[in-house]
Amino acid sequence: MATEPADVLIIGAGASGGVVARRLSEAGFRVVCLEQGDWHDKSEYRGPELDWELTMRKQWSTSPNVRGLPQDYPIDETDAEISPLMYSAVGGSMLIFAGAWPRMLPSDFRVRSLDGIADDWPIDYHELRPYYERTDREFGVSGMGGDPAYPVGGEDPPLPPLPIGAGGLKVARAHARLGWHWWPEPNSILSVPYDGRRPCVQRGTCQQGCNEGAKASTDLTHWPKAIAAGARLVTGARVRRLETDATGLVTGATWLDREGQEHFEPAKVVVLAANAIGTPRLLLLSASPAHRDGLANSSGLVGRRLMMHPFANVGGLFDENLESWQGQFGCSIESFEFYETDERRGFVRGAKWGLAPTFGPINAALPSRAGTQVWGADHHLHVRSHLGRGANWGIFGEDLPDEGNQVTLSGTLTDGSGIPAPEVHYKVSENSRRLLDFHIEKASESLLEAGARTVEVDRLMRYSGWHLLGTARMGDDPKTSVLDRWNRAHDVPNLYVVDGSCFVTSAGVNPTSSIVALALRAADHMVETRFDQQVPV
Amino acid sequence: MSLEPRVLDPPEQATLAALAEHLIPAAHGMPSAGVVIDERRLRFVLGARPDLLEALRAGMRPDLPADPAARLIVLERDEPETLSKLLLVIVGAYYTDRLVRDQLGYPGQQAITIQSWKYPQYLEEGLIDQVLARGPIWRDPTTGRTAIEDRPRTLTTDTHEIGRPR
Ligand SMILES: Cc1cc2nc3c(=O)[nH]c(=O)nc-3n(C[C@H](O)[C@H](O)[C@H](O)COP(=O)(O)OP(=O)(O)OC[C@H]3O[C@@H](n4cnc5c(N)ncnc54)[C@H](O)[C@@H]3O)c2cc1C
Ligand code: SF4
Repeated sequence: MATEPADVLIIGAGASGGVVARRLSEAGFRVVCLEQGDWHDKSEYRGPELDWELTMRKQWSTSPNVRGLPQDYPIDETDAEISPLMYSAVGGSMLIFAGAWPRMLPSDFRVRSLDGIADDWPIDYHELRPYYERTDREFGVSGMGGDPAYPVGGEDPPLPPLPIGAGGLKVARAHARLGWHWWPEPNSILSVPYDGRRPCVQRGTCQQGCNEGAKASTDLTHWPKAIAAGARLVTGARVRRLETDATGLVTGATWLDREGQEHFEPAKVVVLAANAIGTPRLLLLSASPAHRDGLANSSGLVGRRLMMHPFANVGGLFDENLESWQGQFGCSIESFEFYETDERRGFVRGAKWGLAPTFGPINAALPSRAGTQVWGADHHLHVRSHLGRGANWGIFGEDLPDEGNQVTLSGTLTDGSGIPAPEVHYKVSENSRRLLDFHIEKASESLLEAGARTVEVDRLMRYSGWHLLGTARMGDDPKTSVLDRWNRAHDVPNLYVVDGSCFVTSAGVNPTSSIVALALRAADHMVETRFDQQVPV
Repeated sequence: MSLEPRVLDPPEQATLAALAEHLIPAAHGMPSAGVVIDERRLRFVLGARPDLLEALRAGMRPDLPADPAARLIVLERDEPETLSKLLLVIVGAYYTDRLVRDQLGYPGQQAITIQSWKYPQYLEEGLIDQVLARGPIWRDPTTGRTAIEDRPRTLTTDTHEIGRPR
């Protein structure tokens, strides 16, 4: 048991936790990390096995409630229209993430100024760009520079783009005819060997773990380096609350091991990296007589403004076999054609589209997400017309912040350690519904132009809470934000939050490249201000 | 012969076969699920998903209608959760059968080497050039309008070097 306080205690060994741990330990900080999950070995993933489509629905489900593993905490989602998805392990949700790696666009940081809604960020695209470039190198990003959806300049992705597949090519040609934007998707998946890791083999099972180690996750890209630089990572360690002293500084964390034994880990600085559900849960759990509404919560915004990107799937079915069960699940191509606001459409903001593969025969045979099921002799025709013959546009719509969409603590449900579980309250806004309707129509047009025989639509997928954002937003005003522009809690000068909780608005893109760029920026700031950092005595 | 107890007793097995045959009969060159799903296939599915056993047994109860179509209607109405698990058992057992997969032309999720040295077809066809020719589409926060750039974008040397680590 450590008695000497760590320079920095990180909670959560996922995407953001890994980035901060590596940066700080390489800068000479004494780093300790507490992670409730475990290490996984690549050989545990079921992608190459016959049971892949069976186990993905339970043991390797993207929902902690479906998996129900001891290291997961359950989530009360009875009042939520979308289920939050995540994974608890070294590497965090990156173990099962798809790997799509687009950046936010300049307008995403200025939603209030441009569209008169939500809020502006305290930083802008240009401030974040150097961090995007560094994290692209750290994770190993494949893609093509020069995308006119972004400003010119800066570094291209370090590795060449991944293949776009037969479906991607059809849609790219269709967009050429329509005069619409498309671009090879940047993915944090290796197209060539890099940093001791093997390249992608296109197996298409990225959301159940990558057997090749081609898809980036911090257990591969960051933790080995952080540990080599002296970081101590404790797994099976579930943090119950953060402790504070009389001056209001945080002094460390109380946590439980797998046997339920309680420990205290003292620290000079605490960094929360437990994602936008786990972090507000911990801040609320850390309420005390001095902080009755939870730690760092004088604004009342801890847990509020949860954003999850309402998602629609628009699937085109083609006559020829595209072998669409193969290919990186990240995405093959993307389109930003309808990303920016056009108020004539009846909503503000927009969505990125990402084209994804389509799973195997069990998925084709079961009642589809779009509601079709065919049994009897025609079942075989149904399966043949779906298996390998699809191209799916995933629509990631910008989710606007709403204080009513929030994480609270459950009064009844607990995790395996007896700690109150989070309760998620989430309604899809009218703006999101209109946005999805418009984008579904346009994405259908794209697929039909590409030659799809028919298009099947899943309008609002329940199990699509992949992107967890906004529950401890950053900002310059302590009355209206939880964190300052450097991810430090306004109320607690030695507490940082580096996960997706810090987002002011959600943008309409997959968020992880931005989460880790922001986390690296916060870590740089910790290094630069190390001698001015207030710590408990 | 295995000495392990069978997953289903003979009446249950007969009920399952009838149900499987009803859902996925022999047609269009594909075999019947009633024939394909034997003890071995069931064991495979339940080995991967032991949690499905309960629903499988529940779906075979003798108090449910004997006619497969009527049984499915009752399950859908009264026990949708049981039905969806039962469908997964049947579909899972059928589509993990080697012969079925061969007949479908589905080889499983394969490892395919990326030919990163090859010049992609979309560049060959000029599809990227067309996107670039249409100019920037990002909205400039300083003006609120679509950005204007001094020079048209063209494929950079780097982009032409696709396939080589940069
Ligand atoms: C199926 C799926 C697909 C996705 N696809 C994409 C994609 O293609 N592109 C993209 O940009 N994003 C994608 N995402 C989202 C991406 O995974 C997340 O944005 C990213 O992992 C968030 O990083 P994080 O550091 O905020 O949290 P996480 O990576 O979730 O890490 C949080 C860690 O904290 C630990 N933790 C939480 N509470 C405690 C506690 N009390 N004590 C100890 N440890 C704790 C957890 O166990 C976990 O390991 C996907 C997510 C899922 C689930
Ligand atoms: S498609 Fe590529 S990144 Fe995805 S799991 Fe397979 S090898 Fe890994």
